[in-house]
Amino acid sequence: MRNFTTISQIITSETDQAFWSLVIFLLVVLLAYFMMRLKVWRVIMTGQLRSHRAQIEDILKQLYHVEAGGKSVGIIDLSGALRISDKKMLNLIEEMVNMDLIQTRDEKIVLTEMGRDYALRIIRVHRLWEKYLSEKTGISKLEWHDRAEQKEHQLTREQTESLYEELGRPRFDPHGDPIPTAQGQVIEVKSVPLTGLRKGAVARIKHIEDEPEVVYKQIIAKKLHIGSQLKVIESDDRHVKFYSEGEEYTLPSIVACNISVLELSEEEIFEDSKVRLSSLDEGEKARILGISSECRGAARRRLMDLGFIKGTEIETEFNGPNKNPKAYKLRNTLIALRNDQADLILIEKEAI
Amino acid sequence: MNQDHSNDIIELASNLRWKVGENYHDRLTEGIYTDAAAITRDVEVRDGKAHFTFDRKLDQILTSKTFGFPIMVLILSIILWITIQGANYPSGMLATLLLENIYPFLKGVASSIGMPWWLDGFLIDGVYLALGWVIAVMLPPMAIFFPMFTLLEDFGYLPRVAFNMDNMFRKTGAHGKQALTMSMGWGCNAAGVVATRIIDSPRERLIAIITNNFSLCNGRWPTQILIATIFIGALVPPAFSGLMSTVSVIGIAMLGIAFMFLTSWLLSKTMLKGEVSTFALELPPYRPPRFWQTIYTSLIDRTLIVLWRAMVFAAPAGAVIWLSSNITVGDMTIANWMIEWMDEFGVFIGLNGVILLAYIVAIPANEIVLPTILMLTVANLNLIGVGAGDGVMFELDSEMETEAILRQGGWTLLTGINLMLFSLLHNPCSTTIYTIYKETKSWKWTAVASILPVIMGFVVCFLVAQIYRIVVG
Amino acid sequence: MSKVVSDACETCPLYNSAELKKLGVNVDNADFVVALAGNPNTGKSTVFNALTGLRQHTGNWPGKTVTRAEGGYNYHGKHVKLIDLPGTYSLLSTSTDEEVARNFILFGRPDVTVIAVDASRLERNLNLALQVLEITDKAVLCLNLMDEAKRHHVAIDARALSRRLGIPVVPASARNGEGIPELLETIHKVATGEIKCTPHRIKISSKQINQAIEDLNKKLLAKYPGLPNTRWIAMRLLDGDQHILDAIKNDEFQLAS
Ligand SMILES: Nc1nc2c(ncn2[C@@H]2O[C@H](COP(=O)(O)OP(=O)(O)OP(=O)(O)O)[C@@H](O)[C@H]2O)c(=O)[nH]1
Ligand SMILES: [Mg+2]
Repeated sequence: MRNFTTISQIITSETDQAFWSLVIFLLVVLLAYFMMRLKVWRVIMTGQLRSHRAQIEDILKQLYHVEAGGKSVGIIDLSGALRISDKKMLNLIEEMVNMDLIQTRDEKIVLTEMGRDYALRIIRVHRLWEKYLSEKTGISKLEWHDRAEQKEHQLTREQTESLYEELGRPRFDPHGDPIPTAQGQVIEVKSVPLTGLRKGAVARIKHIEDEPEVVYKQIIAKKLHIGSQLKVIESDDRHVKFYSEGEEYTLPSIVACNISVLELSEEEIFEDSKVRLSSLDEGEKARILGISSECRGAARRRLMDLGFIKGTEIETEFNGPNKNPKAYKLRNTLIALRNDQADLILIEKEAI
Repeated sequence: MNQDHSNDIIELASNLRWKVGENYHDRLTEGIYTDAAAITRDVEVRDGKAHFTFDRKLDQILTSKTFGFPIMVLILSIILWITIQGANYPSGMLATLLLENIYPFLKGVASSIGMPWWLDGFLIDGVYLALGWVIAVMLPPMAIFFPMFTLLEDFGYLPRVAFNMDNMFRKTGAHGKQALTMSMGWGCNAAGVVATRIIDSPRERLIAIITNNFSLCNGRWPTQILIATIFIGALVPPAFSGLMSTVSVIGIAMLGIAFMFLTSWLLSKTMLKGEVSTFALELPPYRPPRFWQTIYTSLIDRTLIVLWRAMVFAAPAGAVIWLSSNITVGDMTIANWMIEWMDEFGVFIGLNGVILLAYIVAIPANEIVLPTILMLTVANLNLIGVGAGDGVMFELDSEMETEAILRQGGWTLLTGINLMLFSLLHNPCSTTIYTIYKETKSWKWTAVASILPVIMGFVVCFLVAQIYRIVVG
Repeated sequence: MSKVVSDACETCPLYNSAELKKLGVNVDNADFVVALAGNPNTGKSTVFNALTGLRQHTGNWPGKTVTRAEGGYNYHGKHVKLIDLPGTYSLLSTSTDEEVARNFILFGRPDVTVIAVDASRLERNLNLALQVLEITDKAVLCLNLMDEAKRHHVAIDARALSRRLGIPVVPASARNGEGIPELLETIHKVATGEIKCTPHRIKISSKQINQAIEDLNKKLLAKYPGLPNTRWIAMRLLDGDQHILDAIKNDEFQLAS
């Protein structure tokens, strides 16, 4: 045979050669893996090294939220909340005062008229972008906030307005927060934290706060949706227990206070029998009451096109090997849906 | 004036849109469905008999926890087994006819009319033999496999497969309809890539496009079958060799599915992060196929495809191979130079230079991998008594003969196994690459889809080779 | 602005040949252009094959055809170009597969649109049929898969259906060739204007929405007199359909002379 033996001159036996090749391969793979990890770190680091403009905008936003909550802050609170060093913060504040965006008043920082407008514009972009992500992309809920945090510093005024038109001039973002208008007006939302409801109260979920992320993740994992009706069974300092869409939930108070609700009056309460399609067992029949407002954009349209319309008779025909997806029969056709989608379809089970 | 009109309309539309609110689309769709229901009530009569009871019973079995997956594997096994067993005889016949009878006849005619040796070699030894070889080896298995597959498709089984497998697709961040596009890929990857249009969301569609190459296609099944028969079927007593080769081909097909899941998972964890947005699959009623009609049309269809591809791809490739084996630069032919150059790396990962060169020549079409390998092996070794000369595809009417040549070329069980693996894991053919570009409109994703599988192929072959060498010694 | 009302010339093709060229369809020497639309898996490709004698791929699952296929046939001395469209559940959502079908019917303006429906699932199929009837007023309903409907004990009163929809209805079983001659004849009659269609219009219960559609429709009609589908365009504009908005901006709805 020919002489293809550069490596095998050093390592004599073929088995040895094979062994060492494997070892080297594993080392290379490990190295590559750690390099990847390092790059991930770099991305996180650069995420923290916000641009100068982004920092100013973040300060404005923070101030706006603080003022909206009826409080006020000093420099130290601000630098702590935004993870900017005190020294840097001092420079920034000075610059912003010069730009007439903020004023300092007895150790406290307040927004000027112009600063408020600016802040509202950033919030407008943020919420519009979240709306865009929810309607037009399949990106996970958990990523909306972070992506919008980036985007809010990037969109120009024209881009924002054409986005606003494209989305059909929405009034609320997907978390239920009002989107400020281009003129800087904000719709007042009357809602209270879930923890503020007494036992027996019936309310509708208006807003789910997406910060801090750990708490938001917990709420999302529970599959609670904006627009859902709930009824409080028990409420004390530590826990809130309630019913919603046929399921029973118990949430610690610190989690529950991130959910804002609007209490419903007697005549607004209806359809207590609402449950989710995913709870319909094989062979059971039901009538569709509607699709949750949590299901939006293309996904919602697709479901409606397939005939998931208010009033339609539906039946779970068979469960499939994993009970996910399941096959449902409606309008004489079998449609398979995954459970997370079936969770968003509300039904009323037929009395047997 | 015209433009004013347009702007007027757009302005009015914007205002009205704001007024009718976000529920507009819901109301509209509900309105249409209400109309449809009202009309249907008036014109349709459904008598009280239980409809679709047979369908439901069948679905209960085909999608059951216990039987769903075994039935899928069983059906695939049966189809492959029939293909492998059934293709032998017609393949041999075609080879005898095209290569043993017509080939010498053509040669005779050429010499009787005094054709110059290079023209005769180029046309008959190059173009014609490649064509004949591809037809003999490719046509019979494909003309058996696909009609059976089409029967299943017409019956309505494929959506049930997608339904059963969706859970796994969901876990890997992909879309259940990828099972359908994969099945289409078994016919032709380019068709599979186009079929991904049934997947709505762009992220999942990209995953389906990139991983479609892990479905063995028309041009690769026969390679798998032939190599499995030669190297793996031979490991057991002849009585079981058919079974053994079937099992190994199924193994490769399954491995392809495993790689598809693995790659989908990797992609949705790295480059294509995100959640699966929607999955809604209509399960059509079972419709008994028109057996003979389906078989007939599918058979004609496959035959035409194989013949057409043989003409368009195999014939020019035959010419190229003949040329590269007959033009010498320095003291070696072009083919020899290239083989020499790649051989070290090839052998290192358990293949050889001939195979690597064959895969480069076969970028336009996977069908010509095997004929190229055989022909280059013969040319490179200058085997006496086999074949008719350099760059000539020889008569291959028995697997024994093929095996003899390959073994002389230094092939072992490892080379066989790795060729099967590499045939599964390598770049898509040029048609598929072009289709991927057309569908994604992105060079980046086209490059990822083309290069990722080759890298995987190299890595897998490398690992198998080293482990084989350590274990077998 | 020059406008020629299309029925000034009975035999002139109605289809928009410039637009069709842009959509990539060659209509040289075709007397009529006929499109095949319908829900997925209702046998469109089978009907296509039966009419043209070609072998377009068929299969019992929704989504077998994802690209447009073209073919042709001659009937009563007229050359007819037939286009097999991908199946869609609706024309209201703006996903890519629907766009192929939607754009063809809307901008290509075929002489006749054949809507293939599955006779045993009429209700869900009518959802799409009603939408098509908003876009075009020259349509034929092909009530396909009649053999399957019979097998499952479903009967349809085709004449009543035709009255309700305002277009001819042809029961067929395309795979067995049943109903194909009648379909050929009906297409011909609709194309030549021998049969006049008065298509059903979608009713919406909400007064506010109806009002909005009407207002917009009036404006559109003022700009595009003679266009049969202004109401549908109005519906799409209210839904914020970007493609339609662009088409308005670029004046793509002007009737070709
Ligand atoms: N029994 C019966 N089966 C039919 C008939 N017409 C079509 N089929 C079958 O129905 C299935 C679907 O037919 P296609 O022509 O592929 O349907 P399509 O509407 O083109 O489907 P898409 O391309 O997916 O939109 C195929 O398996 C056909 O063989 C019919 O008249 N009777
Ligand atoms: Mg079709």
